[in-house]
Amino acid sequence: MEEIIVTIALWFGLYTIVSLSLNLEYGFAGIPNFGRALAVLMGAVAVGGIANRILISVFGISGDIITASAQIRSLTNDLIVSNPAYGVGLLLLCLALAVILGAVTGALFILPSAKLSEDYLAITLLAISEVAFMVCNYNIAIIGGYYGVSTPDVLAFVPGEERMVVFTAITLFIAFLVFIFVRRLTNSPFGRLLRAMRENESVVEATGKSVMLLRIKTAAIGSAIASLAGALYSLYSVNVIATSFSRVEWTFYPFLMVLLGGAGNNRGVVVGTLTFVIVKILLTIYKHEIRAILHLPFEAVWLEYILFGLLMYFVLLYRPEGLIKERPIFTAPIKKVAAKIRGDA
Amino acid sequence: MSVIEGAIVYSNLLVLLSVGLTLTYITTAVPNFAQGSFAVFGSYISLTLLRLYKIHPYYSLPFSFILGGLLGLAVYLLILRPLIKREASVVILMISTLALDLILLGIIGSYSDSLAEISHKSASRFIFTPYDFDIAGMSAILFVSTLVISLSIFALFLLLYKTKFGVALRASMENPDLAEVMGVNVEYTRLFSWFLSGALAAMAGTLLPFRQEIVPSTGAIIIVSIFAASIVGGLANINGALLGGYIVGFSESFLTYNLSTILGTGILLYSKVISLVVLIIVLILAPRGITGVNWRRVIWKKSSLQ
Repeated sequence: MEEIIVTIALWFGLYTIVSLSLNLEYGFAGIPNFGRALAVLMGAVAVGGIANRILISVFGISGDIITASAQIRSLTNDLIVSNPAYGVGLLLLCLALAVILGAVTGALFILPSAKLSEDYLAITLLAISEVAFMVCNYNIAIIGGYYGVSTPDVLAFVPGEERMVVFTAITLFIAFLVFIFVRRLTNSPFGRLLRAMRENESVVEATGKSVMLLRIKTAAIGSAIASLAGALYSLYSVNVIATSFSRVEWTFYPFLMVLLGGAGNNRGVVVGTLTFVIVKILLTIYKHEIRAILHLPFEAVWLEYILFGLLMYFVLLYRPEGLIKERPIFTAPIKKVAAKIRGDA
Repeated sequence: MSVIEGAIVYSNLLVLLSVGLTLTYITTAVPNFAQGSFAVFGSYISLTLLRLYKIHPYYSLPFSFILGGLLGLAVYLLILRPLIKREASVVILMISTLALDLILLGIIGSYSDSLAEISHKSASRFIFTPYDFDIAGMSAILFVSTLVISLSIFALFLLLYKTKFGVALRASMENPDLAEVMGVNVEYTRLFSWFLSGALAAMAGTLLPFRQEIVPSTGAIIIVSIFAASIVGGLANINGALLGGYIVGFSESFLTYNLSTILGTGILLYSKVISLVVLIIVLILAPRGITGVNWRRVIWKKSSLQ
């Protein structure tokens, strides 16, 4: 039971980071980012591809990335056990690398499509993300492809049975920081500009703002946040396998969480994420029981796909505004006006 | 199969898929992200007929056509029409086709497991090449796919340009509001386009296992090529799908092969990177695709510069 709660909390933290970033891009700025998985994958590349290579050159190990990474893990583990500061430092280094790589990729990958209409934009983003996923899967020189590479265990100094709890706490803390950041950002003049862009791009252009620049900025910030989740997930599982960064898991499900909770409402998205994660984890844990009870002649994962696909459809059909609706922004002048109206009434 | 044969077969199938995508985009204004899964649906129809009734995949083409068409109709009637009635935005419609793609993946995956149980043979990974034969020294799939694409395109153009229904159809593609005022039932054109889109995609799916291995998630891989083909030609033009299909199909198989002779066989894995590059170049130079460019104007501009 305790383990189930910790698993739910961990995935809640990871998915909150991703869905908040998607909410910033889709819910606020109106960018239909069908390539969210790319940014998450970049977080994994930052850990498995870049941080590992830095460590390899620091320790002066030779050999290909897969075998060298395995050696790195045992070397760093000893080091981290003797001095936890190294582990914390490595964690921060990985997160910083993920943010930088995510921001750069986000800004770059929206470039060819920054002037396109919604449908072309969505197609292009999906295509880029899908192709990057394939390349990372087939090319084992980047992050080990489908073989995967090991990553250092940044929490090697924590005893085995408590490792998951501590990691979950770290993830939840970072998700909380992201929540605060996104809320402040979306309540700022920049956030209002994003909403204006979503509603009418021509008006934003007419006020002298560049829609293209806004889109690039939003995609950079959003991708930087989402790649945090990729890095944390890789560090948690001490392994990076490109196959686990699929479109379903990291683009479709985040969209489901955002729409379920309420696009354009950060609190709603958190509620949507929690609802989704509870359902998903329970489905994953009890999949064998479900299969046995329903006498399914197939894997339960297919049932999960059908279920979540239908859930998405019903949300779109019956509750397109989500569980919690988007609310007007209460800036200081509007608060004053509202108080006045209330005073008159 | 020689490289050029493979390139022609692949392009033929890509054209079938992108013509369907373009048709539904023109009438419904939503890019169908489930087009790839429509094809895999067709592949599994043929596999079922082959495993259970020993019907050669070539003879299962009519079944794929009809069942695929019914799938397309069902998708429009059950998923898109209710959303369009509620005035959902384009993005919401796109997300609904993404959801549809996932539902189809789930259905196809569970079906493949069930089929494996019935036929006592794994169905999660299959290929039809052993069932192909040679005609005049060339593989039969080359002739069959060319025949299927020529017949489909010929019938489609006959319908569009020689019948009254075709005139109504083209009118409602050009300007749905005006067509509706003139008494054309736009609903019919949508039903027709979704039926045809599903039918063509399922036929392509029947022939695809002759060229590459099929797994339940193949749809997610080929969707990149389908979109590239449709956008390169121009999403708003059926002729564009023809042109784009051959450009992307040839560059993907032919260019990749030629590059592999220079850079080594490792590059063969990157065929989808080539379609992505082609897609991005076209989007930067001509965002409306090749048929969307006003060529007369381009030539006039060039000549007036000199």
